[in-house]
Amino acid sequence: MTPDLYTGRCTRFLNAQPHMRKLGIQLVKAAPREAVLVLPVQPQLVSDVLDTYLHGGVLTTLVDAASSVSTLCALDEFELCPTLDLRIDHMRTPVQSQPLYVQAECYRITRSVLFTRASVYQASPEKPVANAVATFMRPEPGSTDTAFRAMIEGQEHEATA
Amino acid sequence: MKQLLDLVTEAHQSGDYQPLVDLIPYARMLGVECACYGEEVIFRLPASEDHLGNPTIPAIHGGVIAAFMELTAQFQLTLQMPQPGLAKVIDFSLDYMRAGLDRDTFAICRVSRQGRRVGSCSVLAWQERKSKPIAQARAHFLLDAGKDSANPD
Repeated sequence: MTPDLYTGRCTRFLNAQPHMRKLGIQLVKAAPREAVLVLPVQPQLVSDVLDTYLHGGVLTTLVDAASSVSTLCALDEFELCPTLDLRIDHMRTPVQSQPLYVQAECYRITRSVLFTRASVYQASPEKPVANAVATFMRPEPGSTDTAFRAMIEGQEHEATA
Repeated sequence: MKQLLDLVTEAHQSGDYQPLVDLIPYARMLGVECACYGEEVIFRLPASEDHLGNPTIPAIHGGVIAAFMELTAQFQLTLQMPQPGLAKVIDFSLDYMRAGLDRDTFAICRVSRQGRRVGSCSVLAWQERKSKPIAQARAHFLLDAGKDSANPD
């Protein structure tokens, strides 16, 4: 797999998810076993009453998305792996005026389970806003939707030909 | 911040916590609703195409389920706090048990311990039957976050 293939796969995967489109979460980087995503600053998530308050749930969504995308960068073929469990620790309150970045790594791949860790930051990766670990369940061979897989792998035309 | 404290006090008096929920942009975006039955609050996440993460099943994005459950916990704790304020999440851990299908989801929170500074609780989320939960979570919240406003780096 080349970095471009990972980038294409991850971008198509994010764009295929309505909630990712709704939040405007984008891919910054895809590398072997690693992914970086960004949540841009946006009025729909900013509160004028609560001064510096982005709901923690936004970070969980971002972490779940990045961890899931990092599994795409760890597998030879696309597999749709549901999250088994996820834990997030909030270390700082994020500021609303800066985008949120999340770097995720799929550090262990087994036959059935994928293990990931992720870190959310704003100004610098050295000052994380939150850290998270998650596990993903690999589907049984052949159970990922064929058309969806072809679309994510960018083989739509080949599949319909 | 003044406005927030007023809203919490008002919500306590009226028993209608919806204005408080609507204060959080992500909660409003997800369309989270709450219904109070005395001390018990049941939260509802209405089905929406915007919530989907897996378009093939289709299933709700795991992050949406997590955020919804975190909100449930946060408001249950806020509801029980002696001083008005909004509980602040420290950590959140959840197990996904079943795919959340494209239909309404419900959640309820049980506070297991509420101290002066920290509260711990568990949350259950389900769709058709409470006996078949789609996820369960455990969380800790800081209850005196207002006093910690310096938030040193």
